[in-house]
Amino acid sequence: MLFTCFMLTGFIFLFTPQNLTSKFQLAFIHVFRWPLSIGGDLALTAQTKKPLDGTFSRSETQYRNYIANLEQMLAQERKKFKKLSGLYNTYVWEGTDFALADVITATVEGSRNELTIACRKTVGLTKGQFVLGNECIIGTISDIFPQISKATIQLITDSASKIPVKVAGLPNIMKGSGNNKARIEMIKNEIEVGENVFALKKPGFLDAPMIVGKVAECNRNQQDPKLWDITVVPACNIEQLEDVAVIIMNPPK
Amino acid sequence: MRWFRFALLILTVTILQKGLLARWSSKPDLLVIFLVFYAVHYSTSEAIISSFTIGFAADLVGSPMPMGPHMISFGLFGTLLAYLHRVIAIKRMPYQALAIFATSVLTGLAAHLLAHIAGEPITANIFSVVFITALYSSIVGPFLFMPAAWWMRIRTNRFGRRY
Repeated sequence: MLFTCFMLTGFIFLFTPQNLTSKFQLAFIHVFRWPLSIGGDLALTAQTKKPLDGTFSRSETQYRNYIANLEQMLAQERKKFKKLSGLYNTYVWEGTDFALADVITATVEGSRNELTIACRKTVGLTKGQFVLGNECIIGTISDIFPQISKATIQLITDSASKIPVKVAGLPNIMKGSGNNKARIEMIKNEIEVGENVFALKKPGFLDAPMIVGKVAECNRNQQDPKLWDITVVPACNIEQLEDVAVIIMNPPK
Repeated sequence: MRWFRFALLILTVTILQKGLLARWSSKPDLLVIFLVFYAVHYSTSEAIISSFTIGFAADLVGSPMPMGPHMISFGLFGTLLAYLHRVIAIKRMPYQALAIFATSVLTGLAAHLLAHIAGEPITANIFSVVFITALYSSIVGPFLFMPAAWWMRIRTNRFGRRY
């Protein structure tokens, strides 16, 4: 009778879902965690060697990996929070929303210069919106794929890109010339190398001028030697960008 | 049977098994050793209770295995050993070692089989693990019988068949 009762109990334990019965195992480890850890320390001392990564038990390894992943996620979220709080606290961006996006691929070679980004939210994104990378304008949204939460950015250096800019106080049109460079042609005055180039404000897309690049070269125009052509390079290293922020001037409520 | 002493001993052994011995890949199974000890030193009903209790303790520290396989296998083979002890007295150390080895192999295989029935995958080197554990247990086991007998206040000259 005694034997039958115990066997029955054993089979009940065996066929009860493991998520219920494992609570007994967890409770035991929780209650006796202190003597169990002493046992582990003593064993390690007896072995007289430091534990290697491979010597941890499966659950220990899982916990360590889980903690490492959480720390990385926390660091990433902090970085994003810092970036967003910096943007939101700028006076000119009052009422503006930003969509943070991770860079998937960056193409800056040849005539086609673009970025593919993964956006967490695609609501409010439209073509032509300016994109910030490292606090400078790097391009505009050229395509949006809401189904797969992705978008492409036409960089300021793309050969099809044309944006109104001002350099040394003179407004002009900057055209992309590929290979991570852009050109501003027919400037009346010579511009110093290293001078900042600003994107002009565009109602509905950009409320204040923002830096887009720096003057890399200033040469005389071949057709009219009285005028100057300048070569502009982006104000940040686009190839090394990990994330960008899309400027949404009139976010949907 | 002094049940309080029994509970204290099994709790200590369980903690040792999970804590101190858990770091070694090849180790004796202290719970099987004490399963044999109680099966050959006490009456059949006491042996049944102690076998299932030790099996339950083995299940508590048997993660990632589910609960139940050790309780069933320890209970079954502990009871069989208790009945066998009625016929064959396991007094001398070589016989004790042999009993521990056989019980360890049988309980180990039965526990893995039951866990497999419950849906757990069977590890590739199960036979070698069971064999090595049984071997270590049979070597260490007989030497633990004397301190265990002292702790349980058993007179060593009382070894013998029980009916």
